[in-house]
Amino acid sequence: MANAREILSRMNSVRDTRKITNAMYLISSNKLRKSKQMLEDTEPYFYTLQAVIQRILRHIPDIQHPYFSDSRLKNEDEKSRALVVITGDKGLAGAYNHNVLKAAQDWMERGANHHLYVVGELGRQYFAAKHMPVEEQFHYTVQNPTMHRARRISSVLMEDYESGKIDEVWILFTQMVNSLSEEVQLKQLLPLQRESFQNVKIPVSMIQEEIQMVPTPQAVMDHIVPNYVTGFIYGALVESFCSEQNARVMAMKSASDNASALLDELSVQYNRVRQAAITQEITEVVGGAKAQRKKEKIG
Amino acid sequence: MSSFSLRIIASDHVFYDGSCEILTVPAHDGPVSILAHHEAMMMATQEGEVRFRPAGSTEWQEAVVGIGIVQVVNNRALMVVDSAERPEEIDVRRAQEALERAEEQMRQKQSLQEFKMSQASMARALSRLKGSRHYQGL
Repeated sequence: MANAREILSRMNSVRDTRKITNAMYLISSNKLRKSKQMLEDTEPYFYTLQAVIQRILRHIPDIQHPYFSDSRLKNEDEKSRALVVITGDKGLAGAYNHNVLKAAQDWMERGANHHLYVVGELGRQYFAAKHMPVEEQFHYTVQNPTMHRARRISSVLMEDYESGKIDEVWILFTQMVNSLSEEVQLKQLLPLQRESFQNVKIPVSMIQEEIQMVPTPQAVMDHIVPNYVTGFIYGALVESFCSEQNARVMAMKSASDNASALLDELSVQYNRVRQAAITQEITEVVGGAKAQRKKEKIG
Repeated sequence: MSSFSLRIIASDHVFYDGSCEILTVPAHDGPVSILAHHEAMMMATQEGEVRFRPAGSTEWQEAVVGIGIVQVVNNRALMVVDSAERPEEIDVRRAQEALERAEEQMRQKQSLQEFKMSQASMARALSRLKGSRHYQGL
């Protein structure tokens, strides 16, 4: 068994660590409150925008447009694909970053020609350490998601897409399912998939309305799609930010709880060791005194 | 006057959700007004002013909006925009600063992508300034 002093210094170090994790817990729960509000404000926009785009895709007449999947006739393995990866700026957020990076790895194994667009310091370091070329980094964009930053990211993507440098745009972000669980989401932003809505069964009785595009379907798509990409990126940034804070709150809470449990255990151990030391000392004193008395009697 | 339901959703809040009699939006080729029972339509809008009159009211309501989409289906209008503000909420100084910043960037040599970005931010600043000036009656 370790001696009393060792246990004491261990307890001190655990106590110090608990102070740090507790402070981080408080900070991130404060940030979580802020980001939850932000998420609540953005969710109507995020989901409505997706619903509108889906409706367009259901009703779009057969037009050739660069934003549609059948516009680039290339073989699957010739296509260069871009992935926007949204990670956190810092670690200590449980499995949050690992889940995203693992999903990014899986995605990269699916094809050869890939370009990475990394948002978040942790992702940048991860790919730099693995010597994977990163197309573009967006610094300090995760901490405070704004529409301005989403516009910057989307303008880079749209430019590369329109110039033909990339043929597909994917995005990887983390979505809050509820306050206890979150999921990594991989979505294809561009080109828009016309097929993906055809397996939805339409009841016979439903009247298929005709939607007029003003002035022309072409012009509507020209304006709506870049806007949709920006909106989607903004929504994804907010979702990820909120998930990161949530993951950190949970990780720090369990770390603090663990530290407390460890301290309890250590203090029991320390008391036992201390008691053993006292008992031993008494036994030694008593034994010494007895021996002394015996000596006197004989002498 | 018959009315239709209108929802204006900005990226950071729901601006309006209710019924309205007439809605005017900034389309790319000038303002377009929408009345009740409009045919199903999808339209892209640009930065500018949106005006609408809630059902049963004689007062017009105004909003300065960013680029977005208007969709009219089944007598329901849905407008999804970047941003929407009431003219009285606009921070004129911030808009002015943004305009000056954009102008400065436009003067410098920049890539096509940077040019598009500053052009867009210039359009936003201008439309916000115009909206607030309109409100102040200037």
